[in-house]
Amino acid sequence: MTELLIRNACVFDPLNGIRGDVMDIAIRDGRIVESVQNNADVIDASGFLTLPGGIDSHSHVCGTKVNFGRYMSPEDMRAGRTARRGKMHVTSGYYVPTTYGNSYRYSTMGYTTVLEGAMAPLEARHTHEEFNATPLQDMLANTLFDGNWSIMEAVHAQDVKRAAAIVAWTLSSVRGFAIKLTNPGGTEAWGWGGDLTGIRDPVPNFNVTPAEIITTMIEANELLHLPHSVHLHCNNLGKPGNYATTLETFGLVPDLNKNRQTLYATHVQFHAYGGSTWRDICSKADEITKSVNAKPQIVMDMGQIMFGRTMTMTADGPMEFNLYCLHHNKWSNHDVELETGSGIIPVLYSKKSLVNCVMWAIGLELALLTKNPYQCLLATDNPNGAPFVKYPEIIGLLMSKRYRDEECATLHDGIDQRTSISSIDREMDWNEIAIITRAGQARALGIAAQGKGHLAPGAEADLAIYPIRCDDVDPATEYRKVVEGFQKTRFTIKRGRVVARDGDVIVDGANTTFWVNPTIPDEHNVANDPEFVKKFEEYYTVRMSNYPVQDVYLPRGRCIKTEADI
Amino acid sequence: MKVMMNTGRTVPQGESVERKHSPEYESAASVCFIHPVDMMVLGIEDGAHIRLSGSGGSVVLTAVASETVEQGSVFVPLGPFSNHIVSGETHCTGMPDFKSTMVEIIPTEDPVPSVAELMEALGGVRYAH
Amino acid sequence: MLIKDVVCPFCGCLCDDLDVEVENGRIIRVDNACTLGSKTMVGDDRLKAPIRRDGKGWIETTYDAAIEEAAQILLDADRPLLYGWSRTHGEAQGIGVHLAELIGGVVDNTSTVCHGPSILAIQEVGHPGCTLGQVKNRADLIIYWGCNPIDAHPRHMSRYTTYATGFFVKDAHRDRKVIVVDTRRNESADVATEFVQVEPGGDYAVLSALRAIVRGRGDVVPPSVSGVSREQLVRVAEMCKNAKFGAIFFGLGLTMTAGKNKNVRNAIELTDELNRHTKFIISPMRGHGNVYGTNEVFTWITGYPYAVDFSRGIAFYNPGETTAIDILRRGECDACLVVASDPAAHFPKPCVEHLARIPVVQIDPHPNATTHICRLQIPGSVAGIDAAGTAYRMDGVPIRLKAIIETGVPNDTEILQRLYNRVREAKGE
Repeated sequence: MTELLIRNACVFDPLNGIRGDVMDIAIRDGRIVESVQNNADVIDASGFLTLPGGIDSHSHVCGTKVNFGRYMSPEDMRAGRTARRGKMHVTSGYYVPTTYGNSYRYSTMGYTTVLEGAMAPLEARHTHEEFNATPLQDMLANTLFDGNWSIMEAVHAQDVKRAAAIVAWTLSSVRGFAIKLTNPGGTEAWGWGGDLTGIRDPVPNFNVTPAEIITTMIEANELLHLPHSVHLHCNNLGKPGNYATTLETFGLVPDLNKNRQTLYATHVQFHAYGGSTWRDICSKADEITKSVNAKPQIVMDMGQIMFGRTMTMTADGPMEFNLYCLHHNKWSNHDVELETGSGIIPVLYSKKSLVNCVMWAIGLELALLTKNPYQCLLATDNPNGAPFVKYPEIIGLLMSKRYRDEECATLHDGIDQRTSISSIDREMDWNEIAIITRAGQARALGIAAQGKGHLAPGAEADLAIYPIRCDDVDPATEYRKVVEGFQKTRFTIKRGRVVARDGDVIVDGANTTFWVNPTIPDEHNVANDPEFVKKFEEYYTVRMSNYPVQDVYLPRGRCIKTEADI
Repeated sequence: MKVMMNTGRTVPQGESVERKHSPEYESAASVCFIHPVDMMVLGIEDGAHIRLSGSGGSVVLTAVASETVEQGSVFVPLGPFSNHIVSGETHCTGMPDFKSTMVEIIPTEDPVPSVAELMEALGGVRYAH
Repeated sequence: MLIKDVVCPFCGCLCDDLDVEVENGRIIRVDNACTLGSKTMVGDDRLKAPIRRDGKGWIETTYDAAIEEAAQILLDADRPLLYGWSRTHGEAQGIGVHLAELIGGVVDNTSTVCHGPSILAIQEVGHPGCTLGQVKNRADLIIYWGCNPIDAHPRHMSRYTTYATGFFVKDAHRDRKVIVVDTRRNESADVATEFVQVEPGGDYAVLSALRAIVRGRGDVVPPSVSGVSREQLVRVAEMCKNAKFGAIFFGLGLTMTAGKNKNVRNAIELTDELNRHTKFIISPMRGHGNVYGTNEVFTWITGYPYAVDFSRGIAFYNPGETTAIDILRRGECDACLVVASDPAAHFPKPCVEHLARIPVVQIDPHPNATTHICRLQIPGSVAGIDAAGTAYRMDGVPIRLKAIIETGVPNDTEILQRLYNRVREAKGE
């Protein structure tokens, strides 16, 4: 039995309604408890800001395309490198760091749980291998279904149960956590070098539309009682005028779950553009947030961009090719048979580019115009909008109108005509920051029940203690202190153990991977369906028996079982 | 005669590559495919021994007539024999000129060495399996 | 006992549909494999115990003593090179990288003498690729450039391309065209719709000419380019543009000839160009079963796919300087750990001469050319035969190699972990 007492912590725990109380937190064997014995180890939090461990609900850190981003970018590896020191391995890279680089930097920023935004089922084993080399965060994998042939056939047959059964078999086979749709249908069209232009376009050869895929998968998701909702990267990412597609998509979503949203729309900044070309692009964050404010069934994340170099990487292959045609930079593409696509190109977001300035403003507008902070979470679609090490700056921007104004003064003049950022006065408070960086993520991902994102007795003892005294700092004016404070915890605690202190990781780490296993009646199990098996063996290039990810890849896996309504 | 040496995988070489002590491997890796016209110029028959010398060294191989190689070039399976000729120059790429080394060919009566003999000549100690 | 869906560890195809018959702990029959794969699995010939050089001869030793001696050799070295890795599983590769990190060594893998130049090209211009099933199900045009799959990847054509039935390609023979580009009329050329014979060293010029034609500037192309007529180049360019899905597979004919990485860059940029007209992908034909895995594992740990030098504490990468061939040619390293490869057979003579001068420890199950020049050889089990572990197919698909027989031989992961622990302990950590 190991016990730890954190004394004198200034706690914000939104899911339990705690707002800045100075209190002690007792931990036993990795979980929060009511009290511990007198001989427990003690950490003095000195009245510092103490939050549940940070959760990133959409980040690209592990797997085939992330690693290819590293592989093709020695210039970035050179941009950030540290030597082996203490318990820390060598790290390389700034915007696509090595796995240890990601893990250490997240940990020193107080993050203890990260969801990988896109895992192709066929290549899941790779993602899990990298999860094991990202030892300081518990990991979850969004699993891609956007171009899944069997799913599209089920959608065409209007057979929701069949779709649910395919999802169940796939998620449990590849140890995935949630359904991810990236440009649904578009990635299959990209198999022929094409794309779709909206949610009513038919997918070539499959005679289904993105709208049908999205609505069927939403229903299937709820039949399976998955902890998370469908996680959607909308069609038409990054195209001027695409806000109409986004609004049309939001209009498809019923409210089917009382505990959480029914749709998680990711990196919405990239989907909130007005205008018709790059010349007249403008913000439609007002329209998007008006829709979301009226639809509690939708949660989004910002997809904030920050200025500087980074790497774009997504399953949205056609979008990356369009980006390549704009930038003429190096371009990689990796389509995955029967499942999905992907593309990678490096970009530079420049303050001299009006388009980039508009993008920057839209992300902030989305967060500031969404009334309920649980409905717009902080993320950059790391590293697409910016590497996650920029999160503290985003927190600073959201907490300080003055910081935003000072930044706007350095941007392209056109920003005031194209966006409303300068007219927004809202400044977030500590509690709202706690919501958009952990509590909201825990609720949206459905992992509060797993003890994530809050500090009630029974919760996992994942905590971040930041060297910020909430009473002494005025975020509106002293935003630099806020940014610095969120960059480096005094202590990061994972399962009751101090894992990072003042910017240094001090343990080897031993993370957990969460995955779901929905129970399906035998007669619906596609593994027992000769037709499904035959098609698998004919069109995949691996045997069905070699497809599932073996337990050995999840040495500390934690399975979330659900009972399907099929 | 000066020719361009190309190297690469052949099926017999690949089949025996994990058994480098075997006669199969040694005979599969120590051949030099050469165009019949070039053989006539050299005045040799199929199966004759030839010495190939290049920027890295020289080695004796067995000539095999083949019309799949062009005149003026030869093909040698990848391995310790072909590599006895190649130099370590990489032109700052990390990659030697495995497929583009100029070699001088002369007929010879010398025997084709074994892999162990090649390694002994470099300072190794023969291991008899 | 019949074991189904066994994965062949030999080449980058990682065929996973083998039927293997095992009797009394021995593999007696392999079905579905090509001759390279089945000979590897059936005729496996191993060292029975660790051996060490003793004066002018060899003696057997124990694993304990061998690991102790290996640790001492690495600890005594100022600039150790840790080379090979492509025939073992990813788990062992990972420990190897961490061992290099621990001792400040250089770690390099066999892509350095294989597709290293392809990696350099990809780092310049990227890589439009896909998994092999995309090609199988969709491609109506296949180009093999500077490679000979019939000899080097014998089932590539039947599993993924020319002869494979796909969802949108029901009659592969009729629906797919094949172009072979090579300096010699190899066996693969015999099955091609179109054979393009390039003069040695002419690939770069031919690729440039094709790019010009695809961009609509055929007028600048002379009547003959490196032995290829303009008519044929125009015909090939039209076949490419008219394809619904084209796939270029290239081999060492681009990476090992004049131009090297620039040849590959040109081929990739041709592919980029073709994507403005239709769907096109390009992919290197990776040789060793798990060579792509070494690139993956090296990359997620260090940021670089090969040739990583830890002597500065950080991971430093400069191919041409930190690559194994260059380090050996300069006579720079003073000890070498070889794992799951055979540099004495596959490195140029001047490099092998240097290896013969320094202490070399080899972890490999087979007596090979490197055996004669090493000081110590420790046999591990073979990934895919008596060791399980992860391998990455040439297209990046990760597949779990199975242990199909039990031999009691320690696997590379165990041997390397013990070595790592011993070195770490000796360094007082």
